[in-house]
Amino acid sequence: MTELYNKIEKKIGSLKFAVIIIVIFSVMMIIGTFVESYYGTDFANRLIYKTPAFMGVQFFMFLSILFATFTRLPAKKRLYGFYVIHTGLITIGIGSFVTYIAGIDGTIHLPPNSPTRTVVLNTDVIEIIAPEKNTRATLNLPYTPFDKNIGIEYGDIKVEDYYPFAEKETKWAKSETKKTEKLNFIHSSTYVLANPNVTQDFTLSLHPEAFDYKSSMTMGLLNITYLPYGMFNCFQKKNQSGIIIWDSKKEECFTLDEKNIQVQKTSSGKRFFALNHEGLVYSFLPDLSPWAMDVELKPIMNSPFRAFSMDLFKDKPHLFLFGKALAYFDKDSEKWISENINLEKKVDLPWMGFELSMTNHGDRKAPLTFPKKVLPVQENGSVVIGNLKAARIKVRDQSYWLTNEKPLNLLIDGVETRIYLTKKSHNLPFELTLTKFKMDKDPGTNNPASYESFVNLFKKDGNEQHHVFMNNPLKFDGFTFYQASYSQDPDSGQYSSTLSVNVDQGRPIKYLGSLLLVFGSMWHWMLNRRRKKKDNDILGLEE
Amino acid sequence: MLYKILIITTLLFSTMAQDSYFCDPILEKNPILQGGRLKPVVVHAQEVIKHLTGKSKNSGNNTYMTYCLLSASSFGLPIDFKLTTPVEHKNTQKLLGDVNQIRFTDLIEKEREIRVAHNTEKFQSGYKKDLSKMLSKINLYKDIARGNNWMVPQNNGGEISWVPINQFFTKEKIMALSRDSKENPFVKSLLESKREFDAAGDLTYQTEYIFHKMRLPLISMILCLIALASLVLFKNFKIALSFSVITVIVQTVYLTLRVIISGRAPITNMYETVLFSGYGALVIAMIIGHFKKEKVFVYMGLAYNFCSLMMINFAYGMLNPNISPLVPVLRDNFWLSTHVTTIILSYGALALSWILANTIIVKKFFSKLSIKDENYYNDVIYTSLKYGIVMLAAGIILGGVWADYSWGRFWGWDPKETWSLIVLCLYMAILHGKYTNWIKTQHFSHLVAGAFMSVMMAWFGVNYILASGLHSYGFSEGGAIFLGSFFGIQTLILLITIKNFKTKAAQ
Repeated sequence: MTELYNKIEKKIGSLKFAVIIIVIFSVMMIIGTFVESYYGTDFANRLIYKTPAFMGVQFFMFLSILFATFTRLPAKKRLYGFYVIHTGLITIGIGSFVTYIAGIDGTIHLPPNSPTRTVVLNTDVIEIIAPEKNTRATLNLPYTPFDKNIGIEYGDIKVEDYYPFAEKETKWAKSETKKTEKLNFIHSSTYVLANPNVTQDFTLSLHPEAFDYKSSMTMGLLNITYLPYGMFNCFQKKNQSGIIIWDSKKEECFTLDEKNIQVQKTSSGKRFFALNHEGLVYSFLPDLSPWAMDVELKPIMNSPFRAFSMDLFKDKPHLFLFGKALAYFDKDSEKWISENINLEKKVDLPWMGFELSMTNHGDRKAPLTFPKKVLPVQENGSVVIGNLKAARIKVRDQSYWLTNEKPLNLLIDGVETRIYLTKKSHNLPFELTLTKFKMDKDPGTNNPASYESFVNLFKKDGNEQHHVFMNNPLKFDGFTFYQASYSQDPDSGQYSSTLSVNVDQGRPIKYLGSLLLVFGSMWHWMLNRRRKKKDNDILGLEE
Repeated sequence: MLYKILIITTLLFSTMAQDSYFCDPILEKNPILQGGRLKPVVVHAQEVIKHLTGKSKNSGNNTYMTYCLLSASSFGLPIDFKLTTPVEHKNTQKLLGDVNQIRFTDLIEKEREIRVAHNTEKFQSGYKKDLSKMLSKINLYKDIARGNNWMVPQNNGGEISWVPINQFFTKEKIMALSRDSKENPFVKSLLESKREFDAAGDLTYQTEYIFHKMRLPLISMILCLIALASLVLFKNFKIALSFSVITVIVQTVYLTLRVIISGRAPITNMYETVLFSGYGALVIAMIIGHFKKEKVFVYMGLAYNFCSLMMINFAYGMLNPNISPLVPVLRDNFWLSTHVTTIILSYGALALSWILANTIIVKKFFSKLSIKDENYYNDVIYTSLKYGIVMLAAGIILGGVWADYSWGRFWGWDPKETWSLIVLCLYMAILHGKYTNWIKTQHFSHLVAGAFMSVMMAWFGVNYILASGLHSYGFSEGGAIFLGSFFGIQTLILLITIKNFKTKAAQ
């Protein structure tokens, strides 16, 4: 046994083994940097840097360094530097291992003025929460670069497939909802708008399950609104007031003229009218709001009626699409133009030579999105393709797709269950509040010169003010907080700050090892000075 | 308003009958605030005109004159030159009608087409990058030609505000000034604004003017060449040493001025690291050479410093000499100076070994080198490797400590840090291989010369090849072409000389 050990020690501690393992390590790193550059950091970590294989290579390097030291004992003076270098490397190895096992590395997002204690870690998990039963389960997902068939189960819920990198793929599929009888309410269409310079295709939908498609959009100066087909005939009718009412219960429209409703003017010159329905009076100020109001001019939220004032859309280019029909106000002829379209017919529009054609339409079929596994793509330092994570969940016989963008809400045996695909989180034993965020800019530009967070730290015995900025972290209770990035709320303009959070017990060990390594190498070179002789100078200089 | 000025300017200049308008060379020294930094106009003019045209002379005008006249054209003054810009990418050339140079006036007419082409390219590619570069050049050109780029300081009771030149010249100002004296009122008012600024503002830009005018990189390159020639061609070590000392002095002055102007260690972009590594390598070589009493170190230092100075002077497209503000994370002078300086000096020391290794290879190919001599010079290589490796290891660790201190992680497998570790590992493998005698004396120089490619990859490749990502192949950019050629030539040298793997016996 000792003999075998000695043999292994000699083999692994040999210089040749050292060269081989260093070369393997280098080659893996070279591959890793290219993978990182093409597919992004996360993918490279999952494929190479944080895999058992790469860690194995590091382990053998560690053994090689350790055994190389053992085989050269007892100590010789010539090798003093060598011992220190190798002790330094072994120490760094131990320190890194401690960090790997016990360290915490995450981020904390601080919205302005709200106490936060949740640190987001870098492990994907599925969280299953049943609020009524007050249960919460966390299922760890594997750290894999490619999709994986997994069979984690939790009660009736089974996680089948996991895509760490995915994109949304649209498929026109029939809805499973059967409650809507009429077809003029939930349709979806794809159109192409083209002129000689630009071609743009877009899909609009009214379908309740087509989450990724909206019913309105803007394209430069042109506004496009997608309306139920049921409203189209009111655009064609003669309509003195230019006001259309949509009845969302009956899913049909009518004009004021049809019902003989008079439009009156308020003292300030605003148009208004009232509608009697089943004993209730709905008043409207159609040029200000589509919502009905009660006698006290408060909006009636559950009103089935909405008013649509065509006059509002005469000034700016505005295109109304109704699935297989369109309407717009033509400024030249001062008239509303309405037209039917279909998959063959192209329609000329009065703006910038645009031509509209329809490429897809579904009365019941809708553009529903499904996750599709992809290889991620990194551009300019950020992942542009493959940012979606998805998992297929099976509950009894029914399969569902769960993504990190949209949680699942299910009723299992009458119990509301929420399922999230998210990152693992860690709760701090104290709270942080962002009281102020400051950003300086380079003079005369918009480039940030520095960003600084002022945080309030709430601990058991009172609170403290801290100032965190680049190269000036906050250290508390073993945690270190670093200024990492920031974001700005587009509406309120308020800044949120993101700090990276870190616990590293291996730090002093790694630092000690580093010191040993550097001083060891200097010592080694000083102990091994030797002088050689030459015959001829390579430059042909005289001595 | 602009219209009124147009009338006066036309009137004024028609009587003055000069075609340089207000572009008096004396205004070169005026301050300007652009790109987040205060600098003399002449420096800014050189930065933007060289960026736009790739040239330092356009129709006989220097960059300052070009910049000033182009700004003057915003007042409707005619200029008798048309600036052109190089069209680099093949697809862009095709888009613009098979040209490799295009006038800005023509380019502006095609702006829409370029924008459409840019928007149709879905993924980031070399072509898309080139198109967006074209669009930004168009914007910059328009900005200058509309008189919005030249920012002029105005002193409002000690408070400096910056206004573009097209708003600075008001009718009242010009009329008043032209009434008082016969001097050019435009020049006079700009000089006045400088005087007012100097009374209240920061004067470092004046140092930058001197710095700009001295042209020290060119001078140091010539000095270095003289030193190298006296050593290699004329075999006169004393002259070579004297010129090496002067080169070091000149470069020290250059670097010191740069530090004063930028307020930070001179190692924050490719230009500065190349410059500093050449300078550092020469200094290290002279020190080691002195203590080891070996003249070949001076040769190694000079040869490498000359290579880096050649790049500094001629590789404008790849190494941008502009001083610009740093990204926030680097704004820590202590760590920046210690970590980056150590790494760059280590690259310099490794470059010394690369120079000698290639010299040995070439020497062996064309003439002879005894095994004893090869052993001796391998030892010289080994000495420079020692310094390089210790500094590299120290630099990587310092980088880890900085990263740990600034954002909480010692090591993150970031490409730059990974590649510096690869460099360290490869050199360690060579050293360990040398101890085992796996690597024979005759093979050592080949391996050392080859290993330097990893340094180039860590230094340039990470920025010019890896940073561009999957869809930016094409090697359209200067840096990637340079690096590709470097790898190609070095590999070729190694392949051609492979038959010399054995040392020829000295006769």
